[in-house]
Amino acid sequence: MTFRARLLVGFGAVVLVPLVIFGLRVRAVMANRLTTAYQQRVAALVAVIRADLDRQSTGIATRLDALRDAAASDNRFRTAVLQAGSGERTYLLDYAGNAMRLAGLAMLQIQDDDGRIVSSGHFRNEYDRLERDLPRLLAAAGGTALLRARTAEAPFLALARLDSLRLGGRRFTLVGGIAVDSSFLARLAPDSELTIAVVIPPDSVSQPEPAAQVLSTLTRPFVVEGDSAHLVAARIVVTHSLASLTALRRGVALSFLVAVLATGAIALLLAAWLSTRISRPLTALAEKTAAVDMDRLDVAFESDRADEIGILTRLLGAMTERLRAGAARLREAERRLAVGDLARQVNHDIKNGLIPIRNVFRHFAQAAAESPERLAEAFRERQPTVESSISYLESLAGNYARLSPQPTGEPCDVNAVVRDTVSRLGHTGQAEVRLELADTIRPARTDPLVVRRILENLIGNALDSLASGAGRVTVSTGPTDGETNGPGVRITVADTGRGMTRDELNRAFDDFYTTKPGGTGLGLSIVRRLVLDASGALRVETQPGAGSRFFVDLPVAAK
Amino acid sequence: MNPLRTRCVVVALLAAACHAGPPRAELPPIPGAAAPSDTSCALSTGAVVARDTVSLAVTERIDPAHAPLPRNDAERLVFAQLYEPLLRLDCQGRTLPGVARSWSQDGDHWTFTLREDARFWDGAPVTTLDVVAAWRSRDSSLARAATTADDHTLSVRRRAEGGGPEIPLQMFADPVLAVTKPAPGGNWPIGTGRFWVTGAEAGTPDVLVARPVARRGLPVIRITSLPPDGARDALDAGGADLLVVDDPATLEYAARLRGYTDVPLEWSRTYVLLVPAGERAGDLRLESLRDAVHGDARPADGSDGARPWFTDVGHCELGGPAGRDGGDAARRRRIVYNQADRSAADLAARLVGLGVLGRGTGAAGLSGTAFESALRAGGDAGYVLELHARVYDPCRAAATELPAWIAAGKVVPLLDVRSHAVLRRALPRLWSDWDGTLRFASPSASP
Repeated sequence: MTFRARLLVGFGAVVLVPLVIFGLRVRAVMANRLTTAYQQRVAALVAVIRADLDRQSTGIATRLDALRDAAASDNRFRTAVLQAGSGERTYLLDYAGNAMRLAGLAMLQIQDDDGRIVSSGHFRNEYDRLERDLPRLLAAAGGTALLRARTAEAPFLALARLDSLRLGGRRFTLVGGIAVDSSFLARLAPDSELTIAVVIPPDSVSQPEPAAQVLSTLTRPFVVEGDSAHLVAARIVVTHSLASLTALRRGVALSFLVAVLATGAIALLLAAWLSTRISRPLTALAEKTAAVDMDRLDVAFESDRADEIGILTRLLGAMTERLRAGAARLREAERRLAVGDLARQVNHDIKNGLIPIRNVFRHFAQAAAESPERLAEAFRERQPTVESSISYLESLAGNYARLSPQPTGEPCDVNAVVRDTVSRLGHTGQAEVRLELADTIRPARTDPLVVRRILENLIGNALDSLASGAGRVTVSTGPTDGETNGPGVRITVADTGRGMTRDELNRAFDDFYTTKPGGTGLGLSIVRRLVLDASGALRVETQPGAGSRFFVDLPVAAK
Repeated sequence: MNPLRTRCVVVALLAAACHAGPPRAELPPIPGAAAPSDTSCALSTGAVVARDTVSLAVTERIDPAHAPLPRNDAERLVFAQLYEPLLRLDCQGRTLPGVARSWSQDGDHWTFTLREDARFWDGAPVTTLDVVAAWRSRDSSLARAATTADDHTLSVRRRAEGGGPEIPLQMFADPVLAVTKPAPGGNWPIGTGRFWVTGAEAGTPDVLVARPVARRGLPVIRITSLPPDGARDALDAGGADLLVVDDPATLEYAARLRGYTDVPLEWSRTYVLLVPAGERAGDLRLESLRDAVHGDARPADGSDGARPWFTDVGHCELGGPAGRDGGDAARRRRIVYNQADRSAADLAARLVGLGVLGRGTGAAGLSGTAFESALRAGGDAGYVLELHARVYDPCRAAATELPAWIAAGKVVPLLDVRSHAVLRRALPRLWSDWDGTLRFASPSASP
């Protein structure tokens, strides 16, 4: 895993994990508090329902009292119930219905002392039906109970109460009540989230909704009619719908998910930006470091950052500088080793040059001893050999002399040397030599002869690199900051010639390496040695087909 | 029940049991034409005052599309003034002239001679071709059995082609055989009665006006349609000379008013329970049903010896779907009735209270069209509905008034009911027909 990937993962984890924990915690706390609130609401509602049922029961009792008094004082009713065949049959059958509607009840039936229904308001035509158990069970339930009141269409649930009156020595019971229907239950519930249902074992009038949570119940007696009439406990179940809580949870979860996604995206973008910001200089540093080797110690590690990356960059720069110095020393050692080789080569070459001469002089000596008159002839015959050998030796001496200049160590006016050297070039054919000299530069701490030899080699190579001799060679000077080596003077020789390949560049400073016909292969080697001897630095920028640019940095002389 | 009535019932039941032929209506004998001076079927009493206008008040809707066969008492009262069959039957079952002035039995034919002065409202004379054309639209087999000798002589085979039941003479008094012809505007069919409808009274769309075709001492009739609870208001306002009603509260109130007379009409309607095949009706306790309704009613136990036309329609080939016969599981456990019919609702409730079709069966009131659909489908445990007295052929009447599945089911008579006519005293003379229909007649004219 890359440093950047680790940075991304770590950053994301640090941001998202606390957010997720926070969200889950908020949801849990919210659910707990709402559930508790719901429970409190339901408990309060149960108390209200209990009080309301008691109040309704009292209201039924009051109305039954009034109906009882009215029936007792109604002579027509008295006649109808006590005197069969009195012609008041229709009045009697309609009596309960009219009384029920006037009293605002949903059910009312009047039964005689045998339990026979003599008048029913909610089911007029159920007259003469025997229902002995109902008054007994209502009395057993304390006078009030739930029951299913029959009608012609369908039974309905009612909260009923029992009362009685005596007429002509006979006891009549009045069973009156109100409907416990959906509207009745809905009136008890203050809002749509609260549901009230009446559950009668073994059947249920209405089951709680699946999304609802049963929270509280209260019981009331229920009259089960039939062949084995008895009382059971009906449950009034108050449920609170959790739909709003579920919706709230869903909303919170959605908002939370959006927040997590947004935060995660922001975190990832931020992490990516930060990791890029952190890793980019490291990557650049790594690339620079990868480019450093013994032949390429001119890589610049420069940074003005004050952080660890800046420190690391400067440390790498110092290390590269030390490597450069070590490489210089190594090359010096190599040079010295090469000088030894050169000495042997010189010895060998001189010997090679002297051998013909010695042979000529041996021939002269032999001729002088054996035939003096032929000495002159022999001299004429062997003179070319001697001259050739001498010429060879002179040439050899000249070449070797160029390998070992003799610096004087005097301050050098670089601009003056540049002008002087260029003026000595004479005719340059189609090539243009341009000077771009800085107005004020400090003298270099180098012998002018060294500078001139450097310039002669670099300008000569530059002119030689121009294709067909046409092009431009620019020689410029200027100061350098010299962060690592102190202030200095930079000489730049740029050409528009053919440039060098990577391989050519790697071998350009080797002794006797040349790409020019008739070249000695010592020019750039001499330049590098001269620059290093002057405690300077040499750097090349080149591109095949686009020319080369040689930078020679020389230290300035002390004031 | 007294012994004489019990013996009559037993004899009637034995006669019915021994009756092996096709069903036929048990009609009163044909005593011959009533004498013009016979006022036994006249309702009005006391001195008659000639009036230019008589106001009728009805509490049911009158639909011209039903004409000439009435569907309720209001239509029965109005249509009787507008349309005539060949014959009429008075309150005692005696045959009276209608469009036909005379009739006779000639071998296997009934021969009718039309009145010379019989006219449609538009003045066109009534011919035998008009009679056959009117029949053809309602009973094609009867039209095929008719032969016209001339414009005024019509002969009808007493038995249909291929045998079948004998056509009784009384059948020609059924309102479904009234002589009509279509009106150009498609509204009220053009009849031959003594009155014709001129339309709604200006400014009062609920008031129909029927004018006498020829004055002859007949008044103009204003027919006011009242809401069901508006009958007493009409009496209070003095706007009703004749009110046909069965509401006991209205009758009781009318009895307290001076100037009005309560005249009970014939037992012209019977409430029945239709039970599909597979259903079994329990103990009806007919004597207890009387108290279940609020109107004038009596148990439909046949104690008067009459044999209603719907008593034995099981032999009729009614055609059409036979209704569901999947037993209890396939039927809805309910007794269905027309919710506009209060007596039907009361009876259905009583049947539920008695558990006639089993415990767990409830009552359900449906709107008129929904009730008709449910009745035709036969998917319920039972149906309570009202049937009118008809002199028509029972199977033909059943085909129009009963569902097809009743051929396999059962018609259980429950209660006979009747309406009352609340009459203003000194009203122009009214005559009552065999089915309780009232007719206006001029003081000097025969019924």
